[in-house]
Amino acid sequence: MSSRSDIEAPSSPSGLDGGSALDLHLWKLPRGRHGLPAELVTRSQRERLLAAVVQVAADKGYLACSVADILKAAGVGRESFYRHFSDKEDCFIAANDMLVDNLERRVGEAYEEPGAWTERVRCCLAATLAWLATNPDVARVMIIEMGTVGPIASVRFEQTFSRLTALLGDCPDLVESAPGLPNIASIAAGAVFAGVYDKVVSGNTAELAELLPQLTYELLVPYVGEEAASAERAVAAEQTEA
Amino acid sequence: MTKDPESPGEADVLTPTTPLDIGARAQEERILRAMAKSCAEKTFSGTTIADIVGNASISRATFYKHFANKRECFDATTDAFLTELRFAAQEARPGGEQWDPDSIRTVMAAILQLLAAKPDHAQMLVVEAPNVDPEIVRRYRDLVIEALKAQRQTAKATHDGADPELAFGRAKVLVATYLSAGKVEQLPSLLPELVYIALLPYLGQEGALEQAQLDR
Repeated sequence: MSSRSDIEAPSSPSGLDGGSALDLHLWKLPRGRHGLPAELVTRSQRERLLAAVVQVAADKGYLACSVADILKAAGVGRESFYRHFSDKEDCFIAANDMLVDNLERRVGEAYEEPGAWTERVRCCLAATLAWLATNPDVARVMIIEMGTVGPIASVRFEQTFSRLTALLGDCPDLVESAPGLPNIASIAAGAVFAGVYDKVVSGNTAELAELLPQLTYELLVPYVGEEAASAERAVAAEQTEA
Repeated sequence: MTKDPESPGEADVLTPTTPLDIGARAQEERILRAMAKSCAEKTFSGTTIADIVGNASISRATFYKHFANKRECFDATTDAFLTELRFAAQEARPGGEQWDPDSIRTVMAAILQLLAAKPDHAQMLVVEAPNVDPEIVRRYRDLVIEALKAQRQTAKATHDGADPELAFGRAKVLVATYLSAGKVEQLPSLLPELVYIALLPYLGQEGALEQAQLDR
């Protein structure tokens, strides 16, 4: 009577991938006895809880939201929640980790494309800005709400930041162009974080893609100097207008 | 206030010379230190009035004589530290009003030293304040950027490559990653990076790197 096709699953199991990333209705189990394998039910519950905590924390703020709010948004029972997570913080951190994994994968894919290093870095930045711009809840959670979680937040921030900037270490011209700046990745990517932060805090997340040309320049200039960074900025400007 | 013929005049009240005033000021300083300590340990949202009162060894009633609530106390703590930073920056500038790469360097060095000397306060201002209210950061960001803009006006060469508005964010992220990694005592070693960040919008890549390398 029931089969897997009863679940209207989104193309990605996390439900946090595409433009309509947080549409919980995409990932609903049929009501009542559905005869689905227990493992599938459990996974679906967990993912719906993760999607729900992102949505609720973006709406109300992490500190103001309760487990009850998450349950309501996810359509999952309290008992099931505590089978997956020990508390609200645990659930929220798991959601953030999943989002970081997701972003890291997107950045990694853009980086694997053929082309010069500066070109590939521009593509990574474009992928990041586009993803955040189309998922304002995700942007708010990762950039702002994550900071309010508690002492663990600053540790996670540092880890996330170094994971996302690790690719910059491959710059072929690094040794020649900027000796004496051991924190060059922080300096370069710090401008990107600062630009994104300002847009998200002021509620203008949708405008993030407009920052591509200038942030391309800011990200590249410490590594490759003004001429090469300006050239890549010009390409980014064309890309943004197209 | 009670009408007492012996009480000091209005002007005297502003200068804490009576034992009572000195006591009140010392009390307030203890509260501010306790706030910074607790925020560093358990963040602002995790801090309770009981933590502050306990750390400062004062009564709850005394706390409320100074501050209406936790947020007011937090703001007073960040403001006091900002004043301290501004004062250290002024002291460090050799040429008074003149902004040049050398004065940028000495000011950055003074700020890093003070941040390293007061780890709780550094954590509170750089990591915690944006989480409590992004508006607090905007206040001190504008302060720094104003100083950088003044420097641009006196700089001979102007470059429109890097955006000065982003310089502050770069520096903040760099300092925050050091604090989060528990490397607060190494903050003064970031001087070349901060000199580079501050000068990049004004001197361009070559000039900023050259100035940064003077510190190595």
